[in-house]
Amino acid sequence: MDISAIILIVVALFVVYAILQYNKLVRLNIRVDEAFAQIEVQLKRRADLIPNLVETVKGYASHEREALEKVVQARAASTTASTLPAVAAADGMLTNALRGLLAVAEAYPDLKASANFLQLQEELATTENKVSFSRQFYNDNVRNLNTAVKTIPTSFFVGLAKVGEREFYEVEDPTIRNAPNVKF
Amino acid sequence: MTDFRAMQSANKRKTFALLFFMGVLVWFIAYIAIAAFGGTGAGVIPLAVLITLVSVWGSYFASDKLVLKMTRAQLITEADNPNLFNVIHEVVIASGLPMPKVAVVNDPAPNAFATGRDPNHALIAFTTGLLDSMDRDELQGVVAHEMSHVANRDTLVSSVAATTAGVIALISDILMRMLWFGGSRNRDHHGQQMPIFLAIIPLILAPIAATLLKAAVSRRRESLADATAVSFTRNPAGLRSALEVLARDTTVVQARSNAVAHMYIESPLDASAASKLFATHPPIQERIAALRAMEANPQQ
Repeated sequence: MDISAIILIVVALFVVYAILQYNKLVRLNIRVDEAFAQIEVQLKRRADLIPNLVETVKGYASHEREALEKVVQARAASTTASTLPAVAAADGMLTNALRGLLAVAEAYPDLKASANFLQLQEELATTENKVSFSRQFYNDNVRNLNTAVKTIPTSFFVGLAKVGEREFYEVEDPTIRNAPNVKF
Repeated sequence: MTDFRAMQSANKRKTFALLFFMGVLVWFIAYIAIAAFGGTGAGVIPLAVLITLVSVWGSYFASDKLVLKMTRAQLITEADNPNLFNVIHEVVIASGLPMPKVAVVNDPAPNAFATGRDPNHALIAFTTGLLDSMDRDELQGVVAHEMSHVANRDTLVSSVAATTAGVIALISDILMRMLWFGGSRNRDHHGQQMPIFLAIIPLILAPIAATLLKAAVSRRRESLADATAVSFTRNPAGLRSALEVLARDTTVVQARSNAVAHMYIESPLDASAASKLFATHPPIQERIAALRAMEANPQQ
Protein backbone atom coordinates (compact mmCIF):
# COMPACT_ATOMS: atom_id res chain seq x y z
CA MET A 1 0.00 0.00 0.00
CA ASP A 2 1.50 3.33 -0.91
CA ILE A 3 1.52 6.43 1.24
CA SER A 4 -1.31 8.24 -0.57
CA ALA A 5 -3.72 5.36 0.12
CA ILE A 6 -2.89 5.51 3.81
CA ILE A 7 -3.47 9.26 3.87
CA LEU A 8 -6.77 8.77 2.08
CA ILE A 9 -7.93 6.21 4.64
CA VAL A 10 -6.89 8.43 7.55
CA VAL A 11 -8.77 11.39 6.05
CA ALA A 12 -11.86 9.25 5.40
CA LEU A 13 -11.82 7.94 9.00
CA PHE A 14 -11.50 11.50 10.31
CA VAL A 15 -14.45 12.67 8.19
CA VAL A 16 -16.63 9.82 9.52
CA TYR A 17 -15.55 10.66 13.06
CA ALA A 18 -16.32 14.36 12.58
CA ILE A 19 -19.77 13.51 11.21
CA LEU A 20 -20.51 11.36 14.28
CA GLN A 21 -19.46 14.12 16.70
CA TYR A 22 -21.37 16.74 14.71
CA ASN A 23 -24.52 14.61 14.77
CA LYS A 24 -24.16 14.01 18.49
CA LEU A 25 -24.10 17.74 19.21
CA VAL A 26 -27.03 18.47 16.92
CA ARG A 27 -29.03 15.62 18.48
CA LEU A 28 -28.37 16.86 22.02
CA ASN A 29 -29.42 20.35 20.99
CA ILE A 30 -32.68 19.08 19.46
CA ARG A 31 -33.41 17.14 22.64
CA VAL A 32 -33.15 20.35 24.65
CA ASP A 33 -35.67 22.00 22.29
CA GLU A 34 -38.03 19.04 22.65
CA ALA A 35 -37.69 19.08 26.43
CA PHE A 36 -38.53 22.80 26.52
CA ALA A 37 -41.60 22.18 24.35
CA GLN A 38 -42.68 19.55 26.90
CA ILE A 39 -42.43 22.13 29.73
CA GLU A 40 -44.66 24.49 27.75
CA VAL A 41 -47.21 21.74 27.09
CA GLN A 42 -47.44 20.96 30.81
CA LEU A 43 -47.61 24.65 31.80
CA LYS A 44 -50.47 25.10 29.33
CA ARG A 45 -52.25 22.10 30.84
CA ARG A 46 -51.93 23.64 34.28
CA ALA A 47 -53.15 27.03 33.07
CA ASP A 48 -56.21 25.32 31.56
CA LEU A 49 -57.12 23.75 34.90
CA ILE A 50 -57.08 27.02 36.80
CA PRO A 51 -60.42 28.63 35.74
CA ASN A 52 -62.22 25.50 36.91
CA LEU A 53 -60.29 25.48 40.21
CA VAL A 54 -60.95 29.16 40.83
CA GLU A 55 -64.71 28.70 40.19
CA THR A 56 -64.86 25.72 42.54
CA VAL A 57 -63.05 27.51 45.36
CA LYS A 58 -65.19 30.66 44.85
CA GLY A 59 -68.30 28.55 45.37
CA TYR A 60 -67.25 27.74 48.93
CA ALA A 61 -64.82 30.49 49.89
CA SER A 62 -65.67 33.57 47.85
CA HIS A 63 -64.23 35.99 50.42
CA GLU A 64 -60.68 34.56 50.07
CA ARG A 65 -60.24 37.26 47.44
CA GLU A 66 -56.51 37.75 47.87
CA ALA A 67 -55.49 34.13 47.28
CA LEU A 68 -57.86 33.87 44.30
CA GLU A 69 -56.60 37.14 42.77
CA LYS A 70 -52.99 36.00 43.01
CA VAL A 71 -53.73 32.79 41.10
CA VAL A 72 -55.68 34.61 38.37
CA GLN A 73 -52.91 37.21 37.96
CA ALA A 74 -50.13 34.62 37.92
CA ARG A 75 -52.03 32.61 35.31
CA ALA A 76 -52.45 35.68 33.10
CA ALA A 77 -48.72 36.42 33.38
CA SER A 78 -47.80 32.83 32.53
CA THR A 79 -49.84 32.78 29.32
CA THR A 80 -48.00 35.79 27.89
CA ALA A 81 -44.42 34.77 28.80
CA SER A 82 -42.30 33.56 25.88
CA THR A 83 -38.57 33.70 26.64
CA LEU A 84 -37.07 31.04 28.89
CA PRO A 85 -36.37 33.28 31.94
CA ALA A 86 -39.84 34.87 31.64
CA VAL A 87 -41.55 31.48 31.38
CA ALA A 88 -39.58 30.20 34.38
CA ALA A 89 -40.41 33.30 36.47
CA ALA A 90 -44.13 33.13 35.66
CA ASP A 91 -44.09 29.39 36.35
CA GLY A 92 -42.58 29.96 39.81
CA MET A 93 -45.13 32.69 40.59
CA LEU A 94 -48.07 30.50 39.60
CA THR A 95 -46.75 27.52 41.55
CA ASN A 96 -46.53 29.67 44.69
CA ALA A 97 -49.97 31.24 44.12
CA LEU A 98 -51.53 27.78 43.71
CA ARG A 99 -49.92 26.60 46.92
CA GLY A 100 -51.33 29.62 48.71
CA LEU A 101 -54.82 28.93 47.37
CA LEU A 102 -54.71 25.27 48.32
CA ALA A 103 -53.48 26.18 51.80
CA VAL A 104 -56.50 28.48 52.14
CA ALA A 105 -58.78 25.68 50.94
CA GLU A 106 -57.64 23.56 53.91
CA ALA A 107 -59.85 25.72 56.15
CA TYR A 108 -63.07 24.79 54.29
CA PRO A 109 -64.20 21.22 55.04
CA ASP A 110 -67.18 21.47 52.64
CA LEU A 111 -64.89 22.50 49.82
CA LYS A 112 -62.39 19.78 50.60
CA ALA A 113 -65.12 17.15 50.64
CA SER A 114 -66.74 18.20 47.36
CA ALA A 115 -66.32 15.68 44.53
CA ASN A 116 -65.33 18.39 42.09
CA PHE A 117 -62.53 19.61 44.33
CA LEU A 118 -61.22 16.10 45.01
CA GLN A 119 -60.97 15.46 41.29
CA LEU A 120 -59.30 18.84 40.76
CA GLN A 121 -56.85 18.04 43.51
CA GLU A 122 -55.69 14.86 41.74
CA GLU A 123 -55.50 16.76 38.43
CA LEU A 124 -53.44 19.51 40.05
CA ALA A 125 -51.17 17.06 41.84
CA THR A 126 -50.40 15.18 38.64
CA THR A 127 -49.99 18.38 36.60
CA GLU A 128 -47.68 19.86 39.21
CA ASN A 129 -45.59 16.66 39.09
CA LYS A 130 -45.57 16.72 35.29
CA VAL A 131 -44.46 20.37 35.25
CA SER A 132 -41.67 19.65 37.68
CA PHE A 133 -40.57 16.44 35.91
CA SER A 134 -40.50 18.23 32.56
CA ARG A 135 -38.31 20.95 34.14
CA GLN A 136 -36.02 18.25 35.52
CA PHE A 137 -35.90 16.44 32.15
CA TYR A 138 -35.09 19.73 30.41
CA ASN A 139 -32.29 20.52 32.86
CA ASP A 140 -30.84 16.99 32.48
CA ASN A 141 -30.77 17.49 28.71
CA VAL A 142 -29.18 20.93 29.07
CA ARG A 143 -26.56 19.39 31.35
CA ASN A 144 -25.79 16.69 28.74
CA LEU A 145 -25.51 19.29 25.99
CA ASN A 146 -23.38 21.67 28.03
CA THR A 147 -21.07 18.83 29.06
CA ALA A 148 -20.64 17.85 25.39
CA VAL A 149 -20.01 21.48 24.39
CA LYS A 150 -17.31 21.86 27.02
CA THR A 151 -15.54 18.48 26.88
CA ILE A 152 -13.13 16.96 24.37
CA PRO A 153 -13.67 15.61 21.69
CA THR A 154 -17.14 17.08 21.04
CA SER A 155 -15.93 20.59 21.97
CA PHE A 156 -13.82 20.66 18.76
CA PHE A 157 -16.96 20.45 16.64
CA VAL A 158 -19.07 23.08 18.41
CA GLY A 159 -18.32 25.72 15.77
CA LEU A 160 -19.11 23.34 12.94
CA ALA A 161 -22.44 22.21 14.43
CA LYS A 162 -23.34 25.80 15.41
CA VAL A 163 -24.58 24.76 18.84
CA GLY A 164 -23.58 26.28 22.14
CA GLU A 165 -24.31 26.01 25.84
CA ARG A 166 -27.95 26.45 26.79
CA GLU A 167 -29.59 28.04 29.81
CA PHE A 168 -30.91 25.96 32.69
CA TYR A 169 -34.57 26.34 33.60
CA GLU A 170 -34.37 27.89 37.06
CA VAL A 171 -37.43 28.49 39.16
CA GLU A 172 -37.21 31.27 41.76
CA ASP A 173 -38.21 29.31 44.84
CA PRO A 174 -35.46 26.79 45.64
CA THR A 175 -37.89 24.46 47.44
CA ILE A 176 -39.76 23.97 44.15
CA ARG A 177 -36.67 22.75 42.38
CA ASN A 178 -35.74 20.32 45.11
CA ALA A 179 -39.17 18.87 45.71
CA PRO A 180 -40.72 17.41 42.58
CA ASN A 181 -43.46 15.78 44.64
CA VAL A 182 -45.67 18.63 45.67
CA LYS A 183 -48.24 17.53 48.21
CA PHE A 184 -51.61 19.22 48.25
CA MET B 1 -21.04 6.13 46.87
CA THR B 2 -24.56 6.88 47.91
CA ASP B 3 -26.06 9.11 45.26
CA PHE B 4 -28.00 7.57 42.39
CA ARG B 5 -25.53 8.47 39.63
CA ALA B 6 -22.69 6.64 41.40
CA MET B 7 -24.99 3.68 42.06
CA GLN B 8 -26.09 3.56 38.43
CA SER B 9 -22.54 3.45 37.10
CA ALA B 10 -21.41 0.92 39.74
CA ASN B 11 -24.28 -1.41 38.86
CA LYS B 12 -23.59 -1.07 35.15
CA ARG B 13 -19.91 -1.90 35.71
CA LYS B 14 -20.81 -4.97 37.76
CA THR B 15 -23.32 -6.20 35.14
CA PHE B 16 -20.62 -5.91 32.51
CA ALA B 17 -18.13 -7.85 34.65
CA LEU B 18 -20.70 -10.60 35.33
CA LEU B 19 -21.61 -10.96 31.66
CA PHE B 20 -17.89 -11.05 30.88
CA PHE B 21 -17.41 -13.94 33.34
CA MET B 22 -20.32 -15.76 31.73
CA GLY B 23 -18.63 -15.36 28.35
CA VAL B 24 -15.41 -16.77 29.80
CA LEU B 25 -17.40 -19.69 31.20
CA VAL B 26 -18.87 -20.47 27.76
CA TRP B 27 -15.39 -20.41 26.30
CA PHE B 28 -14.18 -22.72 29.11
CA ILE B 29 -16.95 -25.29 28.68
CA ALA B 30 -16.43 -25.27 24.91
CA TYR B 31 -12.76 -25.91 25.50
CA ILE B 32 -13.53 -28.85 27.83
CA ALA B 33 -16.01 -30.24 25.28
CA ILE B 34 -13.47 -30.21 22.47
CA ALA B 35 -10.55 -31.33 24.60
CA ALA B 36 -12.35 -34.32 26.11
CA PHE B 37 -14.71 -35.32 23.33
CA GLY B 38 -12.87 -34.14 20.22
CA GLY B 39 -15.07 -33.89 17.12
CA THR B 40 -18.28 -34.88 18.93
CA GLY B 41 -17.69 -32.13 21.47
CA ALA B 42 -17.14 -29.59 18.69
CA GLY B 43 -20.40 -30.70 17.08
CA VAL B 44 -22.41 -30.28 20.29
CA ILE B 45 -21.51 -26.57 20.67
CA PRO B 46 -23.33 -25.15 17.61
CA LEU B 47 -26.29 -27.43 18.36
CA ALA B 48 -26.56 -26.09 21.93
CA VAL B 49 -26.17 -22.49 20.74
CA LEU B 50 -28.88 -22.95 18.10
CA ILE B 51 -31.42 -24.57 20.45
CA THR B 52 -30.91 -21.88 23.13
CA LEU B 53 -31.01 -19.02 20.64
CA VAL B 54 -34.32 -20.22 19.20
CA SER B 55 -35.96 -20.76 22.59
CA VAL B 56 -34.67 -17.66 24.43
CA TRP B 57 -34.83 -15.14 21.58
CA GLY B 58 -38.24 -16.33 20.48
CA SER B 59 -39.54 -15.41 23.91
CA TYR B 60 -37.52 -12.18 23.87
CA PHE B 61 -39.26 -10.93 20.73
CA ALA B 62 -42.72 -11.97 21.90
CA SER B 63 -42.02 -11.08 25.55
CA ASP B 64 -44.84 -8.55 25.94
CA LYS B 65 -47.48 -10.93 24.53
CA LEU B 66 -46.11 -14.11 26.15
CA VAL B 67 -45.92 -12.61 29.60
CA LEU B 68 -49.51 -11.36 29.37
CA LYS B 69 -50.57 -14.99 28.89
CA MET B 70 -48.29 -16.46 31.54
CA THR B 71 -49.28 -14.04 34.29
CA ARG B 72 -52.93 -13.68 33.23
CA ALA B 73 -52.50 -9.89 33.05
CA GLN B 74 -55.23 -7.80 31.40
CA LEU B 75 -54.34 -4.74 29.31
CA ILE B 76 -56.13 -1.61 30.55
CA THR B 77 -56.76 1.86 29.12
CA GLU B 78 -56.73 5.32 30.67
CA ALA B 79 -60.49 5.18 31.30
CA ASP B 80 -60.09 2.07 33.51
CA ASN B 81 -57.76 3.73 36.00
CA PRO B 82 -57.14 7.45 35.35
CA ASN B 83 -55.11 7.97 38.55
CA LEU B 84 -52.68 5.17 37.67
CA PHE B 85 -52.29 6.62 34.18
CA ASN B 86 -51.63 10.07 35.67
CA VAL B 87 -48.74 8.63 37.67
CA ILE B 88 -47.41 6.72 34.64
CA HIS B 89 -47.58 9.88 32.48
CA GLU B 90 -45.53 11.70 35.13
CA VAL B 91 -42.79 9.06 35.03
CA VAL B 92 -42.92 8.99 31.21
CA ILE B 93 -42.20 12.74 31.23
CA ALA B 94 -39.44 12.37 33.84
CA SER B 95 -37.75 9.56 31.90
CA GLY B 96 -38.32 10.75 28.34
CA LEU B 97 -39.45 7.20 27.42
CA PRO B 98 -42.45 6.43 25.20
CA MET B 99 -45.74 5.57 26.91
CA PRO B 100 -45.77 1.81 27.72
CA LYS B 101 -48.71 -0.57 27.53
CA VAL B 102 -50.29 -1.00 30.95
CA ALA B 103 -51.78 -4.19 32.39
CA VAL B 104 -53.34 -5.32 35.63
CA VAL B 105 -53.08 -8.78 37.19
CA ASN B 106 -56.03 -9.74 39.34
CA ASP B 107 -54.10 -10.90 42.39
CA PRO B 108 -54.21 -9.79 46.05
CA ALA B 109 -50.42 -10.03 46.47
CA PRO B 110 -48.83 -6.62 45.81
CA ASN B 111 -46.31 -6.84 42.98
CA ALA B 112 -45.44 -5.33 39.58
CA PHE B 113 -43.29 -6.14 36.58
CA ALA B 114 -42.04 -4.75 33.27
CA THR B 115 -41.25 -6.51 30.02
CA GLY B 116 -41.02 -5.94 26.26
CA ARG B 117 -38.08 -6.19 23.89
CA ASP B 118 -37.44 -2.43 23.63
CA PRO B 119 -38.93 0.83 24.98
CA ASN B 120 -41.37 0.95 22.05
CA HIS B 121 -42.81 -2.48 22.95
CA ALA B 122 -42.72 -2.00 26.71
CA LEU B 123 -45.40 -3.38 28.98
CA ILE B 124 -45.70 -2.63 32.68
CA ALA B 125 -48.13 -4.55 34.88
CA PHE B 126 -49.39 -4.19 38.43
CA THR B 127 -51.33 -6.58 40.63
CA THR B 128 -54.64 -5.32 42.01
CA GLY B 129 -53.14 -5.92 45.47
CA LEU B 130 -50.38 -3.41 44.73
CA LEU B 131 -52.76 -0.77 43.36
CA ASP B 132 -54.90 -1.12 46.50
CA SER B 133 -52.08 -0.89 49.03
CA MET B 134 -49.96 2.01 47.70
CA ASP B 135 -50.39 5.74 48.10
CA ARG B 136 -49.53 8.18 45.30
CA ASP B 137 -45.82 8.60 46.09
CA GLU B 138 -45.30 4.87 46.62
CA LEU B 139 -47.06 4.04 43.36
CA GLN B 140 -44.87 6.62 41.61
CA GLY B 141 -41.78 4.88 43.02
CA VAL B 142 -42.98 1.48 41.77
CA VAL B 143 -43.85 2.86 38.31
CA ALA B 144 -40.42 4.52 38.16
CA HIS B 145 -38.73 1.22 39.11
CA GLU B 146 -40.59 -0.61 36.33
CA MET B 147 -39.90 2.14 33.79
CA SER B 148 -36.23 1.91 34.81
CA HIS B 149 -36.21 -1.74 33.70
CA VAL B 150 -37.55 -0.49 30.36
CA ALA B 151 -34.96 2.30 30.15
CA ASN B 152 -32.10 -0.05 31.10
CA ARG B 153 -33.26 -2.66 28.55
CA ASP B 154 -33.42 -5.36 31.19
CA THR B 155 -35.43 -7.76 29.03
CA LEU B 156 -32.44 -7.71 26.67
CA VAL B 157 -29.87 -8.08 29.47
CA SER B 158 -31.72 -10.99 31.07
CA SER B 159 -32.14 -12.64 27.64
CA VAL B 160 -28.38 -12.41 27.07
CA ALA B 161 -27.77 -13.91 30.51
CA ALA B 162 -30.37 -16.63 29.93
CA THR B 163 -28.86 -17.51 26.54
CA THR B 164 -25.35 -17.81 27.98
CA ALA B 165 -26.50 -19.89 30.93
CA GLY B 166 -28.66 -21.99 28.59
CA VAL B 167 -25.80 -22.74 26.21
CA ILE B 168 -23.58 -23.83 29.11
CA ALA B 169 -26.33 -26.00 30.61
CA LEU B 170 -27.13 -27.67 27.29
CA ILE B 171 -23.51 -28.44 26.36
CA SER B 172 -22.91 -29.93 29.82
CA ASP B 173 -26.17 -31.86 29.72
CA ILE B 174 -25.59 -33.41 26.29
CA LEU B 175 -22.00 -34.35 27.10
CA MET B 176 -22.96 -35.88 30.46
CA ARG B 177 -25.59 -38.02 28.73
CA MET B 178 -22.98 -39.11 26.21
CA LEU B 179 -20.71 -40.13 29.07
CA TRP B 180 -23.50 -42.17 30.63
CA PHE B 181 -24.94 -43.84 27.59
CA GLY B 182 -22.32 -43.60 24.89
CA GLY B 183 -19.10 -44.06 26.84
CA SER B 184 -17.88 -46.98 24.77
CA ARG B 185 -18.04 -45.02 21.56
CA ASN B 186 -15.92 -42.29 23.02
CA ARG B 187 -13.28 -44.70 24.22
CA ASP B 188 -12.54 -45.57 20.61
CA HIS B 189 -11.97 -41.96 19.83
CA HIS B 190 -8.34 -41.11 19.13
CA GLY B 191 -6.47 -37.84 19.15
CA GLN B 192 -8.13 -36.38 22.26
CA GLN B 193 -5.74 -34.66 24.63
CA MET B 194 -7.73 -35.03 27.85
CA PRO B 195 -9.09 -38.11 29.63
CA ILE B 196 -12.89 -37.99 29.82
CA PHE B 197 -13.13 -38.48 33.60
CA LEU B 198 -11.34 -35.16 34.07
CA ALA B 199 -14.18 -33.46 32.20
CA ILE B 200 -16.87 -34.67 34.61
CA ILE B 201 -16.24 -32.14 37.37
CA PRO B 202 -16.30 -29.06 35.11
CA LEU B 203 -19.37 -30.44 33.36
CA ILE B 204 -21.18 -30.63 36.71
CA LEU B 205 -19.92 -27.32 38.07
CA ALA B 206 -20.20 -25.07 35.00
CA PRO B 207 -24.03 -25.05 34.79
CA ILE B 208 -24.24 -24.28 38.53
CA ALA B 209 -21.77 -21.42 38.12
CA ALA B 210 -23.75 -20.14 35.12
CA THR B 211 -27.01 -20.20 37.13
CA LEU B 212 -25.33 -18.30 39.98
CA LEU B 213 -23.96 -15.70 37.56
CA LYS B 214 -27.38 -15.33 35.92
CA ALA B 215 -28.96 -14.71 39.33
CA ALA B 216 -26.21 -12.21 40.17
CA VAL B 217 -26.91 -10.33 36.92
CA SER B 218 -30.60 -10.19 37.84
CA ARG B 219 -29.80 -8.82 41.32
CA ARG B 220 -27.52 -6.14 39.82
CA ARG B 221 -30.28 -5.07 37.44
CA GLU B 222 -32.74 -4.75 40.34
CA SER B 223 -30.35 -2.48 42.25
CA LEU B 224 -29.72 -0.52 39.06
CA ALA B 225 -33.48 -0.12 38.51
CA ASP B 226 -33.87 1.24 42.07
CA ALA B 227 -31.12 3.81 41.42
CA THR B 228 -32.52 4.74 37.99
CA ALA B 229 -35.99 5.11 39.52
CA VAL B 230 -34.55 7.73 41.88
CA SER B 231 -32.93 9.50 38.93
CA PHE B 232 -36.44 9.80 37.44
CA THR B 233 -38.43 10.86 40.51
CA ARG B 234 -35.62 12.34 42.68
CA ASN B 235 -37.71 10.95 45.52
CA PRO B 236 -36.08 7.87 47.11
CA ALA B 237 -38.62 8.02 49.96
CA GLY B 238 -41.51 6.99 47.67
CA LEU B 239 -39.88 3.80 46.43
CA ARG B 240 -38.42 3.05 49.85
CA SER B 241 -41.83 3.30 51.45
CA ALA B 242 -43.30 1.09 48.66
CA LEU B 243 -40.64 -1.57 49.33
CA GLU B 244 -41.49 -1.41 53.02
CA VAL B 245 -45.12 -2.13 52.16
CA LEU B 246 -43.96 -5.09 50.04
CA ALA B 247 -41.65 -6.30 52.83
CA ARG B 248 -44.50 -6.26 55.36
CA ASP B 249 -46.79 -8.15 53.01
CA THR B 250 -46.74 -11.92 53.30
CA THR B 251 -49.13 -12.97 50.53
CA VAL B 252 -47.51 -14.64 47.55
CA VAL B 253 -48.37 -14.08 43.89
CA GLN B 254 -50.68 -16.89 42.77
CA ALA B 255 -49.75 -17.21 39.11
CA ARG B 256 -46.10 -17.51 39.99
CA SER B 257 -43.40 -19.50 38.29
CA ASN B 258 -39.62 -19.48 38.08
CA ALA B 259 -39.84 -18.40 34.45
CA VAL B 260 -41.24 -14.97 35.28
CA ALA B 261 -39.84 -14.50 38.82
CA HIS B 262 -36.97 -12.23 37.76
CA MET B 263 -39.34 -9.69 36.25
CA TYR B 264 -41.26 -8.73 39.37
CA ILE B 265 -40.34 -5.77 41.59
CA GLU B 266 -40.25 -8.12 44.58
CA SER B 267 -39.46 -11.81 44.17
CA PRO B 268 -42.84 -13.58 43.89
CA LEU B 269 -41.36 -16.88 45.14
CA ASP B 270 -41.27 -17.94 48.78
CA ALA B 271 -38.14 -16.80 50.52
CA SER B 272 -37.43 -20.41 51.48
CA ALA B 273 -37.49 -21.56 47.86
CA ALA B 274 -34.13 -20.09 47.02
CA SER B 275 -30.99 -19.35 48.98
CA LYS B 276 -29.44 -15.90 48.74
CA LEU B 277 -26.98 -16.88 45.99
CA PHE B 278 -29.71 -18.18 43.69
CA ALA B 279 -32.10 -15.29 44.40
CA THR B 280 -33.18 -13.12 41.47
CA HIS B 281 -33.58 -10.09 43.76
CA PRO B 282 -31.32 -8.51 46.39
CA PRO B 283 -32.79 -8.88 49.90
CA ILE B 284 -35.52 -6.25 50.25
CA GLN B 285 -33.96 -4.86 53.47
CA GLU B 286 -30.73 -4.19 51.56
CA ARG B 287 -32.65 -2.31 48.89
CA ILE B 288 -34.47 -0.26 51.53
CA ALA B 289 -31.13 0.58 53.17
CA ALA B 290 -29.65 1.67 49.81
CA LEU B 291 -32.62 3.99 49.20
CA ARG B 292 -32.31 5.40 52.73
CA ALA B 293 -28.68 6.22 51.95
CA MET B 294 -29.87 8.09 48.84
CA GLU B 295 -32.42 9.99 50.95
CA ALA B 296 -29.61 11.10 53.25
CA ASN B 297 -27.58 12.26 50.22
CA PRO B 298 -30.04 14.21 48.12
CA GLN B 299 -28.65 15.22 44.77
CA GLN B 300 -30.34 17.50 42.35
